[in-house]
Amino acid sequence: MSRFGFRLEPRSYLPKWLPWAVPVGSFLAALLVGAIVLFATGQNALSVYGRILDRAFLSEGAFTGTLISATPLLFTGLCAAVAFRIGFFNIGGEGQFVMGAIFGSGIALKLGVDAPGIVSVAAMVVFGAVGGGLWGLIPGILKARFRTNEIITSLMLNYVAAVIATYLIFDSNSFWRELTGSGAVFPKGKILPTGSWWPNLDFGSIVVPFGFVLGMVIAAWLYVLQRKTRFGFEMRVVGGAPTTARYAGMKPARIVVAVAALSGALAGIGGAADIGNFRHVLDPKGLQQSGFGYAGIVVAALARLNPVAVVFVAVLLGGITNAGYALRGPDFPSGLVGVLQGLILFCTLGGEVLARYRITRSVRTPMNASALESA
Amino acid sequence: MSINDNLFVIIMASAIFYGTPLVFASLGELLAERSGVLNLGVEGMMLLGAVAAAWVSTNVDGPAIVVLPLAIVAAMIAAGLGASIHAFLTITLRVNQIISGLALTIFAGAAGLSSYLAGIWQLGQTPVKQQFGKIDVLGLSGVPVVGPILFHQTLLTYLSWVLVIAASFYLFRTRAGLHLRAVGESPQTADSVGISVSRYRYFHVIFGGSFAGIAGACFSLMIVPTWVDGMTAGQGWIALALVIFGFWRPDLTLLGAYLFGALSSLGLTLQARGIHISTALLSALPYVMTIVVLVIVSNTASRKQLGAPAALGKPYEREER
Amino acid sequence: MKAATAPAVAAFHVTKKFPGVIANEDVTFDVRVGEVHALLGENGAGKTTLSNILTGLYRPDEGWMEVAGIAVDFQSPRDAIHAGIGMVHQHFRLIPTFSVAENIALGTGHDPVGGRFDLKMIEERVVEISESFDLPVDPRAKIWQLSVGEQQRVEIIKVLYRDARVLIFDEPTAVLSPLESERLGATLQTMARSGRSIVFISHKLGEVASIADRVTVLRHGRSVQTTSENDVSALASLMVGRDVESVTRSSRAIAESSSRVGAVVLEIENLHAVGDRGLKALEGVSLDVRSGEIVGVAGVAGNGQRELVEILAGLRRAGSGSIRVEGESLENGSTRHPIRLGVSYVPQDRMGTGLAPDLTIAENMALKNFRRPPVARPPFIRQSVIDAQGRDLMEQFDVRAPSETTPTRRLSGGNVQKVLLAREMSGDPRVLVIASPSQGLDVGAVATVHRLLIDAAESGVGVLLVSEDLDEVLALSNRIAVMYEGRILDTFDRADADAQRIGLLMGGQLDVSA
Repeated sequence: MSRFGFRLEPRSYLPKWLPWAVPVGSFLAALLVGAIVLFATGQNALSVYGRILDRAFLSEGAFTGTLISATPLLFTGLCAAVAFRIGFFNIGGEGQFVMGAIFGSGIALKLGVDAPGIVSVAAMVVFGAVGGGLWGLIPGILKARFRTNEIITSLMLNYVAAVIATYLIFDSNSFWRELTGSGAVFPKGKILPTGSWWPNLDFGSIVVPFGFVLGMVIAAWLYVLQRKTRFGFEMRVVGGAPTTARYAGMKPARIVVAVAALSGALAGIGGAADIGNFRHVLDPKGLQQSGFGYAGIVVAALARLNPVAVVFVAVLLGGITNAGYALRGPDFPSGLVGVLQGLILFCTLGGEVLARYRITRSVRTPMNASALESA
Repeated sequence: MSINDNLFVIIMASAIFYGTPLVFASLGELLAERSGVLNLGVEGMMLLGAVAAAWVSTNVDGPAIVVLPLAIVAAMIAAGLGASIHAFLTITLRVNQIISGLALTIFAGAAGLSSYLAGIWQLGQTPVKQQFGKIDVLGLSGVPVVGPILFHQTLLTYLSWVLVIAASFYLFRTRAGLHLRAVGESPQTADSVGISVSRYRYFHVIFGGSFAGIAGACFSLMIVPTWVDGMTAGQGWIALALVIFGFWRPDLTLLGAYLFGALSSLGLTLQARGIHISTALLSALPYVMTIVVLVIVSNTASRKQLGAPAALGKPYEREER
Repeated sequence: MKAATAPAVAAFHVTKKFPGVIANEDVTFDVRVGEVHALLGENGAGKTTLSNILTGLYRPDEGWMEVAGIAVDFQSPRDAIHAGIGMVHQHFRLIPTFSVAENIALGTGHDPVGGRFDLKMIEERVVEISESFDLPVDPRAKIWQLSVGEQQRVEIIKVLYRDARVLIFDEPTAVLSPLESERLGATLQTMARSGRSIVFISHKLGEVASIADRVTVLRHGRSVQTTSENDVSALASLMVGRDVESVTRSSRAIAESSSRVGAVVLEIENLHAVGDRGLKALEGVSLDVRSGEIVGVAGVAGNGQRELVEILAGLRRAGSGSIRVEGESLENGSTRHPIRLGVSYVPQDRMGTGLAPDLTIAENMALKNFRRPPVARPPFIRQSVIDAQGRDLMEQFDVRAPSETTPTRRLSGGNVQKVLLAREMSGDPRVLVIASPSQGLDVGAVATVHRLLIDAAESGVGVLLVSEDLDEVLALSNRIAVMYEGRILDTFDRADADAQRIGLLMGGQLDVSA
């Protein structure tokens, strides 16, 4: 241990500006590394970044597009944030998102064209939450009841959910599938009745999708839940010290199950929002390709599991994603979105450690350098 | 119809064929986990390996006997580099292993670096030039039943068998293997007897990661064989499950990999025989089965006896005084 | 040759500082070949740091060490092992799933690349060592199958296997019964006679006096004196730096308080339970605690004490039997019911079970009353009330920390214990169950904790004190119960209690008349 690599030494003094400087510095560092990657592969980093910035935030209508891309990330980000906070590593946001989409689109189709818009939209939110919640409940119960590792179970359920969506559209004559017109030849889902399409709220220059507004409200609610309520207090104890929670008369298993369901429900609403605001049809391929569930974990990690911060991080990453869609083509390198997201996460993870610790080489020579060996 | 056209033989043969990348990937993950480091970046590392192998096979001229080993080495290096990011973050910086591993998969995965590099290198428009074909070992491929199953596979499959045997020997019969298991069980104990915890962890995370690279190369040089974005299609995640499925033992992990291979080839084979069955639902079977096995395993009294490294997922730092 | 006369190991002017603490300052001592040398000092006197320096885990900031007269500079434990220094840790460094031989082989030797290692040879060598030093153990057994005493033997063999000339024992008797301790003492003598040197770290005066040839006393990180003294009270004043005074209740005070005890508040009847490994942990334990008395449970660790207190707190389910608190029976396996009935519990694992390390002091103090007003205004909690309550309790119990919002993980052991006691004693408890209250605390904190326990009893709480430290039990209890292998072997009034008899009972020796 001592002769290899580096040692961490806790900083005794943490300046006030540090919590802000770390994310900003990490973001800039990620851009720098990204620029090196771009440069090394013969791309002009400045122009690529310029185009991303333009298409994400600056150009006409870009911000609306960014908010649309940010909405699913917001929900899956909240999904991961709330679960990770209590040490329940739900990486099944992907599958819970898909189940929410299936349930949400199902109820909209069921209610049909005659239902008032507000009823359809409300029903989609509820059913999306139920679909995702049920899917999140499975790893939650398995963990609480059998101590089964939730990472793997929630992960496996992502694939099962994807398979179910594929089955409904491509492999059966299900209620979701369009069986008339071109649908009889090429398998595709039924378009949702326009009444159930989620509204966009117009704030002059920016159009905000309803799903995003809903997500912001939920984020604020989660913040209050975590910081101000008895349940939130219990969540904090369970997250850091499950044995202590039990000792203090709490029921960690129940809390885990409840949070697992809540977490799944959040992703499920995201799935419903994605269909209500954007796709208006159950599209298994599109859902699978977008990978919102995994990206949500990135969002949550960058937001340090704070639900309010999730909103801002979702907009940032949504911007990059949106620009990636808009710029897709021969002169824009594919895969750059993932590279940037990954780099931002790497740099933030590393940056947080560097902020809290000093890294020192573990050296053999001077006697007094060995104080850090004690750590 | 010869006996070798029998449904069982065909499914077994293709189970081994399709299970081969899973053997490599789960074996690599097993080594990392035995050292106490969980790496959820398998999928990403596989894709890095796949793209590196595809590039070598497409762009390096020479006889197959030179190019293909070179492609494998390139795949191992590419994936090993990816793993070294994870190693640095989790071992030296003690970052959460779950988040770091996911970051690696997002960074390198289907919408990340592998796709970026493939785009820059313009891979995927044609099949790779050199690929691993099935070989007839000692002319035994015609032997009833065992011929097609055991003696008519690609070199990669035989390589995987060698590695499984070597890994079993290493883990349970050598001193280094004993030390590795000690590091995964109790880094404090290992440290106290002078075993370098971080050295063992670095080595096995990176070396294990390079196995994921070979797994990726199986796709671009053997199964598909060309480049397609996200071509590993989630097999990296299955590899993670297989390590648990196989109780952290190479031999059982290999069996698990072939079981999954069999299930994923079952649908296709049945359809080719005109038996109608929903391939979609059939392909969900491995995932559901993994969950069921996991529940059974975690419910069995003691996970310790089954081999789960006790320090898995926990960063090690010398205790404060 | 110099080595023949030089000490086996010696430290000169060793200083080791940690952020905010000087753990060792100008420590000098030497261990002769063939002697048992004790390092005596209180908790926090710097014994453990010094042994970590001797074994290469830490490097001194100043000063140097010599092995057999030659200066050494250890970079890692490996260097110390090569120099022939081995350590038997207090918390065993053994891997439960490995066999004895595998554990002993760890970190030793190299095999040719690709070669297999010869476990059989190792097993034979283990048998050899275990026979020549009277340390019986089966080399093929898995560690988890062994008793604590056997595990300690494995640790000792591990060090001998590495051919250590100097063996350091860190509080080796903490986990042993008095009888086993005696036997260990004999083993140490044997090893010393065979030309090895033994460093024996302890704070127990009696065993130091009886086992050691020479004693180096450490106080506040400094080496005070090296002496051949074997008078216990002389050693005690050297160790503490003044005449020993600890909070012991005089027998008169105990007798007086015994006359004032009230009604039975805790009744345990015929309690049976299984432990973590599925073996029987409690086999028919019955015990009463009355209001206003301290009942001490003496016993060597691992004889069912942990299971007993965990059942009382609801953290573990009893197999059969009953527990009544002021006549009302306790729900089996509920942690909330004991809280409601006024059963307070201070666990031995204070950080891991008693506190949430990342939460603040104030929040930890609210762990048991956050559900009810005034802290809660359902469904909300009032942070301001939590903080105010925390400030009050901190003052009342003299918790020293920057503020009530300091995370408990930053507190010292004594303050951690005070936070726990503050919470557990503030809710008007009827029963206080406390396990190993002074383990790991310095003398000052021990005195405070003991004072608080006496105060609790005097205010009418029934205190159940479970401790492996017989002196502590004797100092505080009105009545003493001795636990061995899941049973209460006997119960004494303090006035009739005899330390020697209790010591024998702790080792399972029933026929004490013999």
